[in-house]
Amino acid sequence: MAEVFWPPQGSASLLGGEHNRIDGLAKCIGSAKYAYDVVPDNMLVASALSCPHAHATIRAIDLNAARNMAGVVAVEPLKKEGDEIRWEGDLVAVVAGETEAAVAEGLAAIKIEYEVLDHFVDDTDLDAATEANVTRPAGRNTQLQNRDEDADQEFERLFNEAAVTFEGHYGINVITHMCLETHGSTCESQGDKLVSHLSTQNVSGTPGQIAGPIGLTAQDVTVHCDYIGGGFGSKFAADAWGVTCAQLARNTGRPVKYMLTRSQELKNAGNRPSGFLRAKIAADKDGFVTAWDSAHWGTNGTSGAPVSQGVIPYVFNPPNRRRVATGIRTNTSPARAWRAPNHPQGCAITQTAYDDVARHLGLDSYDVFLRNLSTVGERAPIYEDQMKLAAKLMDWKAKWHPHGKGGQDGSVVSGLGMAIHTWGGGPHASRATCKIHPDGGVEIFLGSQDLGTGTRTVIGLVVAETLGLELEQVSVQIGLSEYPSSGPSGGSTTVGGVSESTRRAATAALNLLLTKVAPRLEADANQLEAVGGKIQIQGNQNRNISWKEACGQIGISPIEAQGEYAPRVTYPRNYDGKRLTDNGVAGVQMAEVAVDTETGVVKMKKFVAVQDIGLIINRKTARSQIYGAAIMGIAYALFEERIMDKATGAFVNAELADYKLPRLGDTGEIVVELYEPESEYNRGVIGLGEPPVISPGAAISNAVCNALGKRVSVLPITPQRVLEAISGGA
Amino acid sequence: MHSFEYSAPHSLSDAVSLLAQAEGNARPLAGGTDLIDQMQTGRFRPALVIDIKKLPELNVLEFDGDGLHLGAAVPCYRIYGEPRIVQEYSALADACHIIGGVQIQSRASVGGNLCNSGPAADSTPAMIALSAICVIAGPGETRQVPVEEFCTAPGENVLRRGEILAEILFPPRPANSGSHYRRFIPRNEMDIAVVGVGAFVELEDDGQTIKTARIGLGAVAPTPLLAEDLSASLSGKPATDSTFVSAGEAARQIITPITDMRGTAEYRKQITGVLVQRVLATATARARGEPSEYKPGK
Ligand SMILES: Cc1cc2nc3c(=O)[nH]c(=O)nc-3n(C[C@H](O)[C@H](O)[C@H](O)COP(=O)(O)OP(=O)(O)OC[C@H]3O[C@@H](n4cnc5c(N)ncnc54)[C@H](O)[C@@H]3O)c2cc1C
Repeated sequence: MAEVFWPPQGSASLLGGEHNRIDGLAKCIGSAKYAYDVVPDNMLVASALSCPHAHATIRAIDLNAARNMAGVVAVEPLKKEGDEIRWEGDLVAVVAGETEAAVAEGLAAIKIEYEVLDHFVDDTDLDAATEANVTRPAGRNTQLQNRDEDADQEFERLFNEAAVTFEGHYGINVITHMCLETHGSTCESQGDKLVSHLSTQNVSGTPGQIAGPIGLTAQDVTVHCDYIGGGFGSKFAADAWGVTCAQLARNTGRPVKYMLTRSQELKNAGNRPSGFLRAKIAADKDGFVTAWDSAHWGTNGTSGAPVSQGVIPYVFNPPNRRRVATGIRTNTSPARAWRAPNHPQGCAITQTAYDDVARHLGLDSYDVFLRNLSTVGERAPIYEDQMKLAAKLMDWKAKWHPHGKGGQDGSVVSGLGMAIHTWGGGPHASRATCKIHPDGGVEIFLGSQDLGTGTRTVIGLVVAETLGLELEQVSVQIGLSEYPSSGPSGGSTTVGGVSESTRRAATAALNLLLTKVAPRLEADANQLEAVGGKIQIQGNQNRNISWKEACGQIGISPIEAQGEYAPRVTYPRNYDGKRLTDNGVAGVQMAEVAVDTETGVVKMKKFVAVQDIGLIINRKTARSQIYGAAIMGIAYALFEERIMDKATGAFVNAELADYKLPRLGDTGEIVVELYEPESEYNRGVIGLGEPPVISPGAAISNAVCNALGKRVSVLPITPQRVLEAISGGA
Repeated sequence: MHSFEYSAPHSLSDAVSLLAQAEGNARPLAGGTDLIDQMQTGRFRPALVIDIKKLPELNVLEFDGDGLHLGAAVPCYRIYGEPRIVQEYSALADACHIIGGVQIQSRASVGGNLCNSGPAADSTPAMIALSAICVIAGPGETRQVPVEEFCTAPGENVLRRGEILAEILFPPRPANSGSHYRRFIPRNEMDIAVVGVGAFVELEDDGQTIKTARIGLGAVAPTPLLAEDLSASLSGKPATDSTFVSAGEAARQIITPITDMRGTAEYRKQITGVLVQRVLATATARARGEPSEYKPGK
């Protein structure tokens, strides 16, 4: 019988290879259908009206004129009289009509009277927020080596005795998710059934969210999502717009498409909280941080929570540490999970401080990071190994100069920086069904989704590897809520979850097949294996039958087998046997930049990412995932930010023209190294989505600081902030 | 987008009379790369859109004794695709190369760029530096207006009801002269100028002394500017780095930029100085026939 655990490193035929995506062609030629591309006959289009005020109550709302507009079919209020609006751009009412033009006229005819209230949108200045009474304490804790000492006195002593002490200010602004495909859906109502073509990261979990509010039960709602144009953590829920679209389809009996506009998307559909930090730091002469005393703050919107304390400082755990967290409530839309929640901010506002230790002592940043690895726990040797690899790829030693002491080429100076990160990436719950047909056809079904990361291809590869087939012989069916349920794709949990359930389902199906084939080969099913498109006696290539022939033994109905991964059940607590998947990775990144000291422009020269992810299923898409993360990291390090206007409370750059994302010409050379020694391979599959997007902010900030000898304290490092740091700055 | 009527007349005179009859509720459409977006966002809601991009009068690209006649609807790709423009009116080609990307350049016209009258329009400072003149057709006499006098406020210009910009006239290039346009954007390409600078430099026969210069500035005032006094002050000065640095300093004093999400006034002043210096150096190198190091995005 076939073994469920992965083959030893080096013996797999497909796993770990370089494979093109099975849906690559469909995406390139445009035959891949996204929610927006679904256009059923007789479809209505819908769009929403946004509130222009950051804080207001609705005094009166009159939808009659809109309802009477030619071409308008339905108008649905999302707010009622007396409701409070708490951020600019919040959605107030939806119009569905025959054409986009009719909808635009309908929206223009909606009459709303607001009572405008005071607003607060500035998350950068803790004192101003305290004065405005919009802060709330978000925890404090202290860790002391000499536990019994008085904390104040102990910190004072540590700072007095240190080789260097300094105070630093660091920050990272709010960014939005900026999904290329905005949030929304196309819904079709058929009697008591409803199909929602929803742009979602959560195919299995969203039918119930839609059904309840529109008076159906989950079994009557099917969610369908073959392709999605970006989610990054913002598309787990059906959301008010997903429900309203379904409701409009039910009410009108016609298909309805309702997608957010770009500015509605940026103002409502997800952002990453900001993080600002003031810290006093003490270190010994080798750059070992002996004491860390920090206050940090930030906003996640109207509820006012900052970055979690757990990431302050990030990865490093200095022996003496005090941290105080404060949240700021702002009139901005609620944050949503953004790729590796908390980690990119934690890294950007604390590993910059670690780099400043090197700057203040005139040491090599590499040595300071190395020196502090003794505080990172069990993964220290892996970080050390990865740092060596990254340094080699960057040619760090040859390029290094102390902060601000490099040569100048005209007005341009260059610098190096690094950062390290960690993430979990263990599997989510997942079920799969594998079918082997009597004619040799193979199908695998999961209610999972491919966010563009290559999940579809990974599932196909696991089935093909298990059955000894080629990737092209497997038909992968995902993206439909009617399939066996699989978890939402977030937190790097998907690749682990789907490869567990898929491997288990395919192995179970194969074992059923081997049982049927055994008599033909006059062997015991236990002696058989599937390799190279054949079923054979283990290790004996002469006694075999082809896959097709083998399947001919199945009989009239196909073989069908299930596989499941259930958290804490599949591997109970304290389990220490073989595994298919694991949790927990390290990662090291280095950046090289050139800074024009006259214009403040930062150019990426080179970016190196070294990453462990356990066992690699598809090397090519794994690398692509890291390229994407590096580019996204360069984006938030140098370009993108949400800009709020203090006077009006408006989000002023909520369009693609004004919300700066890098172009390919801005990203420089990106070098990716997948770290997969046997010890890591043997841990099994671990998720990769989040980890590589964590370090770029700190690594790039540190490189700019190394070039200039001055810290640009807040990300993104725009040319203006660079010039301000040069002319003032610490 | 709202509902509107669309008309594509066959002659300039038909277009002018349609426009005049519409009593201010119509807009010409050239490449549409500004207009369609502005209608989409609801900034403009014209009842009638008059397509002028195929009018023959607006598509001329000819050289004669008066210089270059450039039809207002000629798209960017035709402009930088014409070797004589690249040679003789380099600043114009530089600007057309960086307006949007390839798709935008296939449609966007310099006439549309000017008539949209944004303070940050890329081709306008280049045209100011090149002493270009607008030829305006309308219900009355055809009239001429220098480019630097065309824009009157953000989004506003001298066009009267029923008038259409027909052509832009560029005087012949003098000997020993060169020009350049460069903008500052925070990223490599596809962005709205934080500051844009166009410069024309004509050298004495010695190749060392500035005979005349003209500097156009974008995004630093409500309308693109001709830096008249600064340009005049360069005549007779040595064409050296120190002259260019002082010109940059002087430019900082004459502009009135605003603080907005693209940058503070202070920051725009700093960048303007740096750009004026770099643009004058490149225009001078071109006047001398030296290869210039300029690459868009650097
Ligand atoms: C993605 C993108 C990138 C862009 N990048 C840049 C950039 O880098 N730099 C830049 O400067 N601009 C940029 N733009 C703006 C735009 O492309 C330019 O302003 C372009 O030159 C406009 O020309 P058009 O022919 O498309 O004008 P249209 O949109 O057709 O017209 C613009 C305005 O001028 C009026 N108009 C046009 N022609 C005439 C005429 N002959 N007589 C009277 N009125 C007329 C129209 O009614 C309209 O109000 C960009 C736009 C987009 C969408």
